[in-house]
Amino acid sequence: MPENLLPTGHRRIEQMRMQGIVKKFPGVLAVDHVDFDVKAGEIHALLGENGAGKSTLMKILYGLYHQEEGHIYLNDQSVVIRSPNHAIQHGIGMIHQHFMLVPSLTVAENVALGMKSSRGLILDLEVVSKRIRELSEIYGLQVNPNTPIWQLAVGEQQRVEILRALYRGAALLILDEPTAVLTPQEVDDLFRILNQMTTDGHALIFISHKLHEVLAISHRITVLRDGKRVYSIPAESATKEMLAQMMVGRPVVLHYDLPPIEPGPARLRLDGVSATSDRGDEGLKNISLNVHAGEIVGVAGVSGNGQRELAQVIAGMRSITAGKIWLNNDDVTNHSPAAMNQHGLSHIPEARMTDGVIKNFTVAENFVLQNHGRKPYAWGGLFMNFRSITRQCKTAIKDYEIKTPSHETPIKSLSGGNIQKLVLARELSRQPRVLIAAQPTRGVDIGASEYIHHRLLEERSKGTAILLISEDLDEILALSDRIVVMYEGVIVGEVKRDAADVRTLGLMMAGSKVTV
Amino acid sequence: MITDILKASVAASAIRLATPYIFASLGETFGQRSGVLNLGVDGIMLMGAFAAYYAVFETGNLFLGLLAALIVGMLMGLAMAFISVTLQAEQGISGIGLYLFGLGLSELLFQKTVVTPTPIDGFPRINLPILTDLPVLGEIFFHHNLLVYVAFALVPISAFVLNRTTFGLQIRAVGQNPEAADAMGISVARVRYMTVTLGGGFAGLAGASLSIALLNIFQSNLTSGQGFIAVALVYFGAWRPYWVMGGALLFSTVNALQLQVKTIENALGINVPSEFAVMAPYVVTIITLIFASKRVEQPTALTKPFERGES
Amino acid sequence: MLSRKKWLLLPLILLMVALVVPTQGHTRSAKAQDTFKVAVVMPSASNDLAFSQSMIDALTAIDEEMGDGFEFVFQENTFVVDDAAIALREWAASGEYNLIIAHGSQYGAIIEELAPEFPDVSFAWGTDVDTFGYDNVYAYEAGSDQGGFVNGVLAALLTNSNVIGVVGPIEVGDAKLYVDGFKAGVAWVNPEIAVNVNYIQSFSDVALASEAAQAHIANGADVMTGSAQMVVGAVGVAKETGNVLWFGQQSNQTELAPEIVVANQVYHWEVVLKEIIAQVQAGTLGGTSYKLTLENGGLVIEYNEAYTLSAFDKFVADAVIQGIIDGTITYTLE
Repeated sequence: MPENLLPTGHRRIEQMRMQGIVKKFPGVLAVDHVDFDVKAGEIHALLGENGAGKSTLMKILYGLYHQEEGHIYLNDQSVVIRSPNHAIQHGIGMIHQHFMLVPSLTVAENVALGMKSSRGLILDLEVVSKRIRELSEIYGLQVNPNTPIWQLAVGEQQRVEILRALYRGAALLILDEPTAVLTPQEVDDLFRILNQMTTDGHALIFISHKLHEVLAISHRITVLRDGKRVYSIPAESATKEMLAQMMVGRPVVLHYDLPPIEPGPARLRLDGVSATSDRGDEGLKNISLNVHAGEIVGVAGVSGNGQRELAQVIAGMRSITAGKIWLNNDDVTNHSPAAMNQHGLSHIPEARMTDGVIKNFTVAENFVLQNHGRKPYAWGGLFMNFRSITRQCKTAIKDYEIKTPSHETPIKSLSGGNIQKLVLARELSRQPRVLIAAQPTRGVDIGASEYIHHRLLEERSKGTAILLISEDLDEILALSDRIVVMYEGVIVGEVKRDAADVRTLGLMMAGSKVTV
Repeated sequence: MITDILKASVAASAIRLATPYIFASLGETFGQRSGVLNLGVDGIMLMGAFAAYYAVFETGNLFLGLLAALIVGMLMGLAMAFISVTLQAEQGISGIGLYLFGLGLSELLFQKTVVTPTPIDGFPRINLPILTDLPVLGEIFFHHNLLVYVAFALVPISAFVLNRTTFGLQIRAVGQNPEAADAMGISVARVRYMTVTLGGGFAGLAGASLSIALLNIFQSNLTSGQGFIAVALVYFGAWRPYWVMGGALLFSTVNALQLQVKTIENALGINVPSEFAVMAPYVVTIITLIFASKRVEQPTALTKPFERGES
Repeated sequence: MLSRKKWLLLPLILLMVALVVPTQGHTRSAKAQDTFKVAVVMPSASNDLAFSQSMIDALTAIDEEMGDGFEFVFQENTFVVDDAAIALREWAASGEYNLIIAHGSQYGAIIEELAPEFPDVSFAWGTDVDTFGYDNVYAYEAGSDQGGFVNGVLAALLTNSNVIGVVGPIEVGDAKLYVDGFKAGVAWVNPEIAVNVNYIQSFSDVALASEAAQAHIANGADVMTGSAQMVVGAVGVAKETGNVLWFGQQSNQTELAPEIVVANQVYHWEVVLKEIIAQVQAGTLGGTSYKLTLENGGLVIEYNEAYTLSAFDKFVADAVIQGIIDGTITYTLE
């Protein structure tokens, strides 16, 4: 095999260099004179908060956006990348955070999409399938070309994405938050594949905000903040703390000390609860769970294993088919969300844009969404007391450090972190005795996450019983007194804080019963 | 004996009634599979029907009529594509607008040109040697005009295009996940323009099948809402050409049957209120829809304009 | 904020609206000071070869007769009653029209509402007999069973298969009267003849009317008739199959198929309209109900000259017409 060829038979990209890239969106300088480069056989991590400009920068490289200033060089030749197609022709591939796959189509059809067929207008799926099998062999990416995407697990879907990029001759691969949806074991698999690809001469760009993963996989790390490049460093000389500080712009606490608290009485009790999922199968099977006053119980698991249904049944948003639920020793089985609130429950919903707020309402309106009919927000349950609403909302904006032009701004124009802070402010303002926090920091930047975590710990010390549902294992490990793991609607195990480690939790999340 | 003749006549009638639906629904299937709901089919059918009728009225050339319907239909489709893809207007509303446009314009042009409904010589029934003379089967299948056969021939062709060609793959991808298609270098706008324009052409042919093949006349609002039924048939057929054809045939068969109810009544000496008979096609359609659950082909991006996100 | 793209939509929408608004027609006659002015709404197209056209033909005939002394405007395709209401109210409020006609039984409620509101304006509506007790409302109807009877007699004389097909719209109004009269006429000649009536529940579905005709032919019908504007489809089918005869109703449908049309019952609303105009000019704004009959010349059986009717059949038909006029022939409707 000639020196400059990849195992796929395509040419290597020895070096890609972006120089002085500028991209403006209305009112924002998204990318501000950024230099970035990657070499064959190297993984270069791009780190930054939401809105730091990393996705924009990569979309420019992939031809989805066009820079206002600056140049891109491939092997020292200036290129203009007009479209994704053009990027692909240059050997640049991208694995998007939200997979760019069509669920109803098969693996082979997804790979063939947008490619020239060897038979002209007519599809040549057999030829494509054969080539997919060859590539699977080379890179150890086992996939059946004839399976429809919707039947594949998330990890497998990602393999299809990678296969497709390789099929199209990607020498440089951009991976946008590739581990966000994977179990720890799947992450290990992915890293094995990425390492093999670099050994074979591919150039990889790895976008993430998970610091330990960035440190584990990459050779070099570049940090973006507010559209500017603030830092570039070889991975071996970086630490989590300094990277976090670079991203946020101030020192960040990554580890929390949980003061020991003697758990009080059980505030939330589930006994043999079962429920039907949206798909019509049994989403929850015989769940029994207690959460005591002053403790945080973490629910870990890969997305789609019943966590969503669990939060919904407790919040009264989904009816249960068997079992009982108690809040503060009152039987609240199949009560309405309003009744659950009356019993001292607060809920930070997972789908915050649909279940947590009303997008077109203002900050203040969203703030009183549940209590608008009660004092101090209304007189006699009928007339809204706008002065009181404004006052209370302004206090919350200040206390919770919500960045918003005013309390009359439509909530949809706020960032995810600030919307989540408002939801938190609303839910905590009712002084709950039980709090369900579902994915409280998903899509929220490190600074806001840190703030939310502090608030949750504060509630803990106030004696609130907290059920923390999260797919972010780091978050679960950092905050929980106890951790339960869900798999296919069942609690497969429970681990005490001290006994928990990523490996065992990962195995449980993949469905193995582990006794600790 | 009488029942045999009845059956043959009902079946033949169903095939004829289904013809405009098949043209229009197949066209609509292409558009919807790519994510564009065109509710203006009826308006396009009317314009196609008028264009074909007028061309034949003036020249007597049937194929010129067909060509006129195709071109006018495609132009209307192009307009819908421009409104829904480029301007990203709400598809339901703009489709209704297109319908009203076609309804009004076809009427206006008809009044300015031909004035009164005047019969023309349309596509004649084709008599095939041997086949046409077959008992029963000949009456059902081999006694129709050219456009009936064209409509049915388009069913396997459409299925082939959708399932076995690169263009079909692009259509399906664009309708299911336009972001993915875009990332794969497919122009979502180009695909949608093509399918909606093609769908318009088919709807034009549907109109022509009425005005120059089945009815051989034009009249204000000739289609009387058939285009809307055609849109419903696409849902009914779960976006698959063969199922869409099945739906069109089912609907037409029940329709043809209700036309025979009076005669059957006379033979049997019973009395069914005609309103019940007229409701039958719709009732059957609704019941079938309730029980038809296989809807995996539903284009998830249907009615959603595509714009590259900024995140 | 609207993007520039959205602004482009505006002219497009305006263009669509312009084409959609029901078309308003004007006569060509020159305007004079003491012109008698009429305004009329109608549910279908003015060239439908049926109900609406019969009114336009009548107004045109009066226009030709009265010349400068007469003028009319019309709004067609106002099947939606609310659209008609808007036009009628505008006309009534303008005070410009001597007579306002709502040509369609669905418009009754509007007239009932407008008549007391504009007591100085004369209204006419049909087909119905109800003037609502107001002295500024005329009602008019067609005794279409009479021509139906004549057509029925002729149809019974001409059928060889003894099966006759009828394509009807909805079982109401003058369509029902016509069909019932037709059936009575057939039975008057030979009660053994089967008359298959098919109401397709639509005034507009040409394709369904066409298939209804196919069904009749498949069942052995060799003579057919029908009522309302969608029958053009049925006439087409009758013509294509060759030996099926057709009887027209409402307007003269001969030009649709000169080979097979035997005769038509044609409405001549001008007979009633001239009465009404004379009354209005004399200062009486309403209170009377009129009916088109063979006797007053409002209903005319127009034979197709291109079709050769045997001397005997023609003789019988003319005798039946005379019999109905002078009351020697009577019949009961179902």
